[in-house]
Amino acid sequence: MKNQNRLVAAVSTPAILIGLVLVVALIGAYGDVTTARVATLALVSVVFVVGLSVFSGNSGVMSFGHVAFMAAGAYTTAYLTIPVPLKKSLFSDLPGWLSWLADVHTSFPVALLAGAVVAGVVGLVTAPVVARLSGLQSGIATLAMLMVTYNVLNSWTEVTRGSSSMIGIPRGTTAWWAFAVAALAVVVAWGYRCSRGGLQLRASREDFWAAEAAGIAVGRHRAIAWVISAMLCGVAGALYAGYLTSFNVNGFFLAATFSFVVMIVLGGYLSLSGAVVGALAVSALQEVLRRFQDGQFTGGSALPAGVADLIVAGVLLVVLVKAPYGLMGVRELRLPGSRRRAAEPAPEAEREPAHAG
Amino acid sequence: MIIEFLVNAVGLGALYALLTIGVALLFGVLGLMNFAYGELILAGAFAMYLFRDQPWPFAVLMAILFSVVVAVVSERLAFHPLRDADPVTLMIASFAVSLALQSVARMTVLPRTKGVPPESFLSHRIEFLGADVSVLDLLTLGLCGVMLLGVAWLMGRTSLGIQLRAAAEDFRMASSLGVKANLVIPAAFVIVGVLSAVGAAVLVARQGSVSAEMGLQPMLIGVIGAVLGGMSSLKGAALGGFLLGAATALLESLLPTDLIAFRDAFLFSALIAVLVVRPQGLLSGTKVRVS
Repeated sequence: MKNQNRLVAAVSTPAILIGLVLVVALIGAYGDVTTARVATLALVSVVFVVGLSVFSGNSGVMSFGHVAFMAAGAYTTAYLTIPVPLKKSLFSDLPGWLSWLADVHTSFPVALLAGAVVAGVVGLVTAPVVARLSGLQSGIATLAMLMVTYNVLNSWTEVTRGSSSMIGIPRGTTAWWAFAVAALAVVVAWGYRCSRGGLQLRASREDFWAAEAAGIAVGRHRAIAWVISAMLCGVAGALYAGYLTSFNVNGFFLAATFSFVVMIVLGGYLSLSGAVVGALAVSALQEVLRRFQDGQFTGGSALPAGVADLIVAGVLLVVLVKAPYGLMGVRELRLPGSRRRAAEPAPEAEREPAHAG
Repeated sequence: MIIEFLVNAVGLGALYALLTIGVALLFGVLGLMNFAYGELILAGAFAMYLFRDQPWPFAVLMAILFSVVVAVVSERLAFHPLRDADPVTLMIASFAVSLALQSVARMTVLPRTKGVPPESFLSHRIEFLGADVSVLDLLTLGLCGVMLLGVAWLMGRTSLGIQLRAAAEDFRMASSLGVKANLVIPAAFVIVGVLSAVGAAVLVARQGSVSAEMGLQPMLIGVIGAVLGGMSSLKGAALGGFLLGAATALLESLLPTDLIAFRDAFLFSALIAVLVVRPQGLLSGTKVRVS
């Protein structure tokens, strides 16, 4: 009986989250064009923010550099799926050692996997840095990683097209693909969270020195979480590229970073449910604000560009002041009945973390 | 030739030191890594644009006024309620402030880049120590140098400076010894406002234009300089900023042109390396105050 309850408690959160994502996917699959676009991009955001939360949520260390992994996934998808003749004309000046890029071609699912692998490799290379730093230093270092990535993508014109847009990517992402990946991301994130390593990492989030003293290799677990989250964010980038069919390097810079930070902070960055709820809620909010800015609610007169950003920034500030741990705090969505019985293995959920730095 | 290069390099160094102090001061006093610093510069630059037809000194005074007002208001609205928050929360909040101020600029007057016609006296070239240097380079050097000396005097010789340094050292101890948080924190924001306005005046004169995104580059310079120099002491930060500026001037005249585009990648990789190897900064001997 007890084991059964524990099982229900363990699967109820991911089941609810997947259900939530399914609802959005249904809206995306059967809604009109605009709705479908918003819903699909919201699912892509879910994949990204869930990926970010695998690292930030479990380690308590905020990262501002994950958009770089998204860029890795998106560029990989572009190289692998743009039709070869078009690619030959887009990348006519490839340096010799990269000339094979113009000839490779794969299907979209393979490109999704490749996006994850490439982002994972980037994550593996940067993991030693993340393993050593916490708090503000980690924030600055991850931001610096984003700056390096942006600078390289923007300046290495022969290979990345620089500031010109990447075009001609076939539309591979559908609402169902986005749903499948989002559901998989939720399962992976939940699985990691409940695993031995995830638990150890969360212990280090609550009290770094106590965890070290208890023999937990905090750096190693941070590195593992960093690579897993890099891979998920890489898939998000691949989905993004496969949906929009064209993208620009400026889509992977501070504006995107800020928008994802709003999602994870608003939802509550310590909780997986917070990541999903935050991504969906902020996607919806941004769409409403976009329509507001275009004048759809004010009788057709468009408001100046920037109103939407201003409101989003205001919302973030209010959340930071009034509820620094977001909508969900450290709670997870659970079936109503299972909450009390499930409470005993998780005393951690009862209190706010001592320090989240 | 060598004098010309020196004036340019030292001038850029002084400007970068100024930008770095603005970041380091707030970090020292309240643990705030202020990403909205660029938008304080934007406010000053906007004043330079607005009063471009007035005499230059008047425009600079208005720039100081604009930047200080924006700095104090942002402290009041955003950072005051978060005074006890951890540094990462403060950093996220400063992102939000930065975006909000940029949006306001974009909504009102700066949807596009606006040109600011160069002041005629700045484009003159004069004889200086036997070399031919532009007034602009001399002005950069002079103005930033004076500001740096001013900050050094303020921090070293006045009661406010001593309170600020005490607050930077140990905020709780300082406040229990009678340093008033409601005095030193706004004072720090006022100083940062003045510094960023002077930085803005120089930057606008050098670039000849104003845009909503113009704050990003100086803000990043301030952050890199502060990390390189060690964020715990203002002197270290100023030195870090100075060396960064001098090195940039050197790199730009030495690097082959096809590598200049990747300058930022090199700079930020160096920043990561410093954080990993010596988080207390290259030039600082004391322990780091980062959580």
